[in-house]
Amino acid sequence: MDFQLSPQLELLRKSIREFAEGAVAPRIPHMEETDEVPWDLYREMGKQLYMGIMIPKEYGGTNLGNLARMIMIEELARVSASIGMAMQIFHLGIAPLTDFANEEQKKKYLPSLAKGERLATIAVTEATGGSDPTGIQSTAKLEGDHYVLNGRKCFITHGHVADTITIMAKTGEGPKGFSAFLVEKSFPGFKVGRKEKKFGLHGCNTGEIVMENCLVPRANLLGNEGDGLKICMAGISEVGRAGMAGCGLGLIQACLEASVKFANERILGGKPISQHQGIQWLISDIYVDLEASRLLCYRAAWLRDQKLRCDTEMALAKFYATEAAVRCAKKAVDIHGGYGYMMEYPVQRYYRDAEILIASAGTSEIQRIIMARKALTSFK
Amino acid sequence: MDIVVCVKPAPDPKFWERIQLDPITKALRREGIPSVLGPLDKRALEEGLRLKEKYGGKVRTIAMAPLGARDNLVETLAMGADEAYLLSDRAFAGSDTWATSYALSKAIKKIGKFDLIICGEWSLDGSTGHVGPQLAEFLDIPHITRTVAIEFTEEGALYTRSLMEGGCRILETSLPALITVAREINTPRFISLMGVLEAENKPLTIWGASELGIKPEEVGFSGSPTQTGEIFMPEMKRKGVILQGEPDELIAEVIQKIRQAIG
Amino acid sequence: MKDLQAKKEIWVFIEQQEGCIAEVSFELLQAAGFLAQKLDQAEIIAILLGHKIRDLAYSLFSFGVEKVLLADHPCLENYLTLPYTRVISQLIMKKRPEVFLLPATTVGSDLAARLAARVRTGLSAHCTQLDIDEKGKLKQVVPAFGGQVMATILCPRHLPQMATVRPGVYRRAIGHEKTPVIEEVPVELNPADLRQKVLKVERAKEFTCSLEEAEIVVAGGAGIGNREDWKLVERLAEVLQGTVGGTRPPLDEGWIREEQMIGQSGKTIRPKLYIGVGISGVIQHVVGIQEAKTIIAINNDPKAAIFQNADLGIVADFRQILPKLIAALEKRK
Repeated sequence: MDFQLSPQLELLRKSIREFAEGAVAPRIPHMEETDEVPWDLYREMGKQLYMGIMIPKEYGGTNLGNLARMIMIEELARVSASIGMAMQIFHLGIAPLTDFANEEQKKKYLPSLAKGERLATIAVTEATGGSDPTGIQSTAKLEGDHYVLNGRKCFITHGHVADTITIMAKTGEGPKGFSAFLVEKSFPGFKVGRKEKKFGLHGCNTGEIVMENCLVPRANLLGNEGDGLKICMAGISEVGRAGMAGCGLGLIQACLEASVKFANERILGGKPISQHQGIQWLISDIYVDLEASRLLCYRAAWLRDQKLRCDTEMALAKFYATEAAVRCAKKAVDIHGGYGYMMEYPVQRYYRDAEILIASAGTSEIQRIIMARKALTSFK
Repeated sequence: MDIVVCVKPAPDPKFWERIQLDPITKALRREGIPSVLGPLDKRALEEGLRLKEKYGGKVRTIAMAPLGARDNLVETLAMGADEAYLLSDRAFAGSDTWATSYALSKAIKKIGKFDLIICGEWSLDGSTGHVGPQLAEFLDIPHITRTVAIEFTEEGALYTRSLMEGGCRILETSLPALITVAREINTPRFISLMGVLEAENKPLTIWGASELGIKPEEVGFSGSPTQTGEIFMPEMKRKGVILQGEPDELIAEVIQKIRQAIG
Repeated sequence: MKDLQAKKEIWVFIEQQEGCIAEVSFELLQAAGFLAQKLDQAEIIAILLGHKIRDLAYSLFSFGVEKVLLADHPCLENYLTLPYTRVISQLIMKKRPEVFLLPATTVGSDLAARLAARVRTGLSAHCTQLDIDEKGKLKQVVPAFGGQVMATILCPRHLPQMATVRPGVYRRAIGHEKTPVIEEVPVELNPADLRQKVLKVERAKEFTCSLEEAEIVVAGGAGIGNREDWKLVERLAEVLQGTVGGTRPPLDEGWIREEQMIGQSGKTIRPKLYIGVGISGVIQHVVGIQEAKTIIAINNDPKAAIFQNADLGIVADFRQILPKLIAALEKRK
C-alpha cells in the first residue's frame, strides 16, 4: 500500500494551488459582495483544460483521472468553495457524456467542453423530486424527430449559463420511465428561471431552468429510453459525490490553516492561545477530521481510477468530508472568538459555505442509507 | 536564441526554524526540509521564457544539487523550459562558489552553444551572489549583475539596465554574455496545468563528475578555495526596559532616552 | 618565490565614482588597520582605478595607507568588469597579497567575484566580522539562511584571502598619517576586455542621507497597516532629522525603496539612535540594527521579539504614541 502521491500529482497540486492563490483569491471579496460569477477565471481554467481532466485525450481532454481531479477540487476549494463547486459541477455535467454518450455525441460536444469553450451542468432536481429523483414530473414526448420536453428544474448550479445540460425527464412510468437528454441552451423552448439568493457560496449561481415545449433532437437522447435514472445517478453518485467530498476536504484544510495562524498570533494570558490546551484540542479535532477525510476521499477516487466499484466508498467520503467541513468550520470560528464573526476574517465564509455541501449530490441521510445497506450485507 | 538558466534549489524558508546546529559535528542539520526554487531563480527563468517567446529558441535549465532537487527541475520544465540538467554527484558536496561555477561551466560547455546565460542575483540560502560572475569568468564571457531590463539591438548586442546604489546603469554588451537578475525584473508566471502535463515529455538529464570530465579533487571540499569553519546561531543580547501604561508617561520616557542618545 | 621576510600586504579596493570616494572605502581601511596590527604590522595598500583620479589618491594617506596602486586610463573611467578585472588580476598575480578587502556594493561584489575566479582564490561575501586566527589566517564571518546562521569562512590554501564587507559594518578610520607613495600601474587591455560599454548612468531622483551614514534612523514594519499611518513614521523621522528605514513588508507595499530596507538582505546600520515602530523584530531585521547605539522599540505586542533587543521598549499602539511624541518633540525645538 503506497500512500505517496506521484511527483506529477504533487506538481499538479502545486500548479493549481498557485493559480488558486494568485488568480482566484483576489476575486473573492468581489464575489462575496456581488455574487457575480468570475467568468474570466473559468475561461482561464478552460484554456488550462481544468474541465477536461477526466475527458479522454482523443476528445481533447487530459484524462488525468479521478484522483487528479480530487486534488484539483481540493486545492480550488481551499481558497474558494464557490470556485471548487463550480469546477466540480462542470465535471459532473461532463460525466454523463464521457460515460454514456455515443461516438457522435462525444465527438460533437466533448472537445469544446474540455477546453471550457462551452460549459456543462446536470439538471435532475425538481420541486417534487430531490432526494427521491423518481418524484420528478418533467416529461419528454417523442414527436417525429424530436423529443418535446416540459417541466421546471430547480437548484441547478450554472443553469443560467451552461451551454450543455444533461436533463432527466420522464418518458414512461416506473423506474425505467426516465430518460436523459443532452440539451443545449439554444434549443427552442429552453428558458432560465429565477436565480436563487444563497447565504453562502457566493459567486457560484444556482437557479431554475424551464422547459416549455423545448425541442430536443432525437440524436440527443443519451443511451436508450429508460436509461435516464441509471445515467444521472451514476454521474451524481460517482462524480458528484466525489466533488462535494473534495470541496469539503479543501474547506477543512482552509479551516485548519486559518485556525493555526490565528492561534499562534492571538495572545491571551501572556501567551499565544495555541499554547492553551483547550485550543489545542480544537485544533487536533480539525486535524484528525482533515486526515480522515483525505484518506477517504483519495481512496474513493483511486478506486474509480482502477475501474473498481466505488459507490459506497464515495458515500463514505462524501458523508464524512462534508459533515466534517461543517463541524470544522464551526470550530474554526470558535477558535477565532469574536473575530470569527467578523467579515474581515475568512472563517465566517468557510462556515457559510460548508453547509450546502451536506444537502448536495445526495444529502447526508441518503449517504447513510447507502452506507447502511452495504454494512448490513457485508458485515454479517 | 539559446538560453541557459541556472537555478539553485535551496531549503524552503518556511521551515528554516527547523535548521539546527548539530552540537557534536558542528554541522548544519537540514534533513526533512524540502527544497524550493528561490524567487530570483524563478525570475531568471521567467526572463528566459519571455525572451524565447519573443525571439524563438530554447531555454535550458541547470542546477548543481542533490538528487532530491530533481522535482525542482521538473518544475522548471513545467514553467516552460525545454530541457533540464541536474549536476549531482557525491564529489560535488561541500563545493563553494568557485567549485560550483567550475562544474556548471563544464556542463554548459557540454550542452553546447549558447547566446545568453541567466542567473538570479543571489540564492536563497548562501546569498553570496558569486556564482553568476564566476561562471562568466570560466566561460570567458562578459557579465552584468543586478539586471532589471533587457533588450537586444538589431545588430545582436545586449542592452541592459542594471541597478546600482542611488540609481542604475545602462550597458551595452556583446553576446554571448551572462546576466544576473534582480527581483524588480519581472513577475514570474504560475505553473500551468498544461505545463505540468508537458513536463512529463521533456528531457531531464542527470550528470555526475565523470560525465563532465571533472576530477573529484577539482570540486567538493578538496576543490574549494574557501572552507567553512565554525558555525553558530547568533544570539541577540540586549535586554532593556519594557514599559506599558499611560501615553503621556510613556512619551516622557521616550524623550528622555532620545536625549541620552543624541544629546 | 615570495620573500618570507617581506611584510604581508592587505589590499583594499577603493571604490570611487565621478571623482568621489565612497564612504565604505574608508570603512574598509579601518578594518584593514585592525587586521594589519594582528598580522605583524602588515602594509595597507589601496587599489584605485579610474581616469584623472590621481588627486583622490592623496586623500587616502591619512588613513594608514602605505601605498596606492593607481591605474589611470580612459577605459577605466566608469567601472566595467573586464577592464578592472584585467588590471587588478595582473597585479594580484604579481604580488599575491595576504588579504584583499572589497566593499559589498554593486561594483565591489561584481568585481570581487570575477577576480576570485580569475586568480583562483577564495572569496566570502558580505562579512560582518573579520579577524586573524592563531595561524595568521583571515577569519571571515558571514550570515547565511537569512542571518539565522553565522558561518566562519577560511581560505587556507590560496592567496589573497578575499572578502567583501557591507557598508556600515565598520566606521571610517581616523589616524596614522603616512607618507604618500603612489605607484602607477600600467594598463594593458585586450580587445576581449572591451566587450562592454557604459551608455548611461542614471541617478535616483531624491537625495537622502543614506541609511548607513545616518545618525538617527526611524524604521517602520508590518505593524504599520496602511500608507496613512506610514506618514507618522516619516513625520517622526523628519522632526528628528533622521532617515527613514523599514523592513520587507513596507518595501513590498512600496512605502520604502530597496535601499531603505534594513536587515540581513538590506542594510546594516550603526546610528546613534534607532526607533523601530510596528516592527516585530525577526532576526533578519535585527541583524541589521544590532550595532545601533540606542534602540527604542514601539509595538503593541508585548511579546514582540524586538523588545529583547531594545534599550527601551514601549508597549503601546503607535497610532496613539507617535502623534503625541511628534508634537512634544516639535515643541522642544
